[in-house]
Amino acid sequence: MNFGLRPLGREKLWVLLLLGPTLLGLAVGAFGSIFATLGLSFFKWDLLTTPEWVGFANYAGLADDRMFLRSLSNTIIFSLLYVPLTIVCAMAVALLLNRRIHGVSLFRTLYFLPVISSPTAVGLLWTWIFAQDQGVLNAMLGNLGIPPVRWLGPNMALYSVVVVNVWGAIGEGMIVFLAGLQAIPREQYEAAHLDGANALQRLIYVTLPAMAPSLFFQSVLSTIHAFQAFDYIYILTRVGNGNSSVPTLVFSIYRNGFRFFRMGDATAQAIVLTAIIFLFTLVYFRIQKRWEVPA
Amino acid sequence: MLRTNGLVLSAIAAGLMLGATAARAETEITYQLWGSPQEGEVWQKVAKEFEAQHPDTKVKVEVNDWDSYWEKIRVLMAGGTPPDVFAMDAPLYPDWQSRGVLLNLQPYIDAEPVILDDIYPITLEAYKTKDGYFGLPRDFQTIVLYYNKDMFDAAGVAYPSDNWTYDDFRKAAKALTKDTNGDGTIDQWGFWAEVLDPEPYWGPVVWSFGGDIVDIANGKTLIGSEKAMQAWHFINDMWLEDKSMPTTEQLQQYGTDGFQAGIAAMGVSGHWSVPDYAPAKFKWAVAPMPKGPAGRVTSVNCAGFVIAKASKHPKEAWEFVKFAFGPVGQAEAAKIGLAVPIRKSVAESPAYLQQTSAPIDHKLYIDALQYAHTKPVFRGYEEWSAAVGDALNNAWTGAMPVDDAVAEAVQNGDDALAKNRQ
Repeated sequence: MNFGLRPLGREKLWVLLLLGPTLLGLAVGAFGSIFATLGLSFFKWDLLTTPEWVGFANYAGLADDRMFLRSLSNTIIFSLLYVPLTIVCAMAVALLLNRRIHGVSLFRTLYFLPVISSPTAVGLLWTWIFAQDQGVLNAMLGNLGIPPVRWLGPNMALYSVVVVNVWGAIGEGMIVFLAGLQAIPREQYEAAHLDGANALQRLIYVTLPAMAPSLFFQSVLSTIHAFQAFDYIYILTRVGNGNSSVPTLVFSIYRNGFRFFRMGDATAQAIVLTAIIFLFTLVYFRIQKRWEVPA
Repeated sequence: MLRTNGLVLSAIAAGLMLGATAARAETEITYQLWGSPQEGEVWQKVAKEFEAQHPDTKVKVEVNDWDSYWEKIRVLMAGGTPPDVFAMDAPLYPDWQSRGVLLNLQPYIDAEPVILDDIYPITLEAYKTKDGYFGLPRDFQTIVLYYNKDMFDAAGVAYPSDNWTYDDFRKAAKALTKDTNGDGTIDQWGFWAEVLDPEPYWGPVVWSFGGDIVDIANGKTLIGSEKAMQAWHFINDMWLEDKSMPTTEQLQQYGTDGFQAGIAAMGVSGHWSVPDYAPAKFKWAVAPMPKGPAGRVTSVNCAGFVIAKASKHPKEAWEFVKFAFGPVGQAEAAKIGLAVPIRKSVAESPAYLQQTSAPIDHKLYIDALQYAHTKPVFRGYEEWSAAVGDALNNAWTGAMPVDDAVAEAVQNGDDALAKNRQ
């Protein structure tokens, strides 16, 4: 990526000075805890007694930890659905709202609202929408003569929480895509128009290539969100006693570290989570490079 | 000049001495517990009375909700600054005791020959180890049956009696399950229970059918035995065939406690629910748990006090525990109405038996000790409970037949037990 402004001469000093506190915080806070997590993943530690070196045993143990494997598969299925759906929906909304229509700022606000609302309150609202007997959704289906669906039951819960999470993430993607769309020079559209390109062709040959950086950025962001998803899922699927019928990776890390006296296992799971996100990011980088070269 | 200097010096000396005594009076210990702000206030009162008798010691009481409480204690412990005294839940006690972070109270108890005389013996069991006591019970919970009198009256069903069997209970629950507003869906159920943890419901049912929960010495989860399976089928049939209990999804529409929400005619719980149920708009009462083929069994569980081994003021901490464990502290704590005092002289006095906020048969919870089994107490309890609960939940959502879900629960439970053996 190219930055428009480059600091010159003495400005560089000021840049460093002003960025200093943030960089220091990042170095100590973020990188410090990342290295601590990596280190701890080679120890058996219960927070109470001295950590004991166990090498790769924590990682080896993950392979037959049924509760971990279940949370991993839940998270992967969730992500595979969530990321593409979020990108497509957010892009569609951004395209619709990137024009001069009445009340466009109202629509933009509405779509962005979930991003800044309390996940607990919104989660509870969705519980009511998905409710089995008195739920809004089943009442609508009932009017069409369709029998009630157990939206939060064992077969549907994972898909229902994907819907809620996508709904909650559209606003954020929309903002990123709107910014990208508005940066596309009008001349390109005019030129395409003169060449006789129809709306679909303009979307494929003008809009999408110009949007590659935004798409890339949003895909990375959505992937990270997907693997860290917790709040809506927990509120919609909790089963009392602090458990959840759709345990996710983050939930599993929390439970192992702070409930089961297994900080070592928890950190190993966190490293696996980081590695997965890193892998996906690498893949996106590759795709982005390929996309950008011909353009 | 010299004189004045002398005066100044003696003034400084006096000041130093004052400072010294003030510093001694400021020995501060902390007592942390989980619970509501109201519980915090009651313990604050206990602390004030303690301070009045022990002017040298100040007690700082801190209360947090259950989840944050355990996180906080772990982090403070890892950071080397644990609270001096903190509340313990008996099933979790071995996890802390076996890691050597709790103070052995045995030498202190040995110095007080009568301190344990007035205590219900079963409440001490969980805290006893081969090396002595590393904690003392604070209060206990026995599980009883709660019933909504208005719903029983409306349905013309007789109230639960002392001789109820699980069959009577099941029949009544079925008769009380109704669609009261005629919209085609059930909106009143005969029974509701929290079913993931063994304490409120499934433990007592498994025991009453002659089964058992765990064999800790051999690391075996026993809930798959033939007798236990009869209990599981009883729960399963009442829930999924009779549909006398709301599903998790149905319950979610009304809240987290089906009895309190007024959608279930019966519930099972400990004394902790009394303050929640007291303001209810319906009339309710309590009865003993029904009898099973192997008799009547309920569960008993105790919260307790422990002292951190790393405490800088173990003597003061012990004095506070002794006071809170003693008659004055117990009488004050009885007023919270959340639990039953472990001290006979207090539990069997008006301080506990006559609680104006909830005029129910409080003695029932004490009588229940005669047929109570201790809630399982072992190292790795929380992990085992989550492993078993997660698997069992598959039966209750209908994702798996109950036999398969119990088989998976046994497997998961045994894994958890194996991982936590020392």
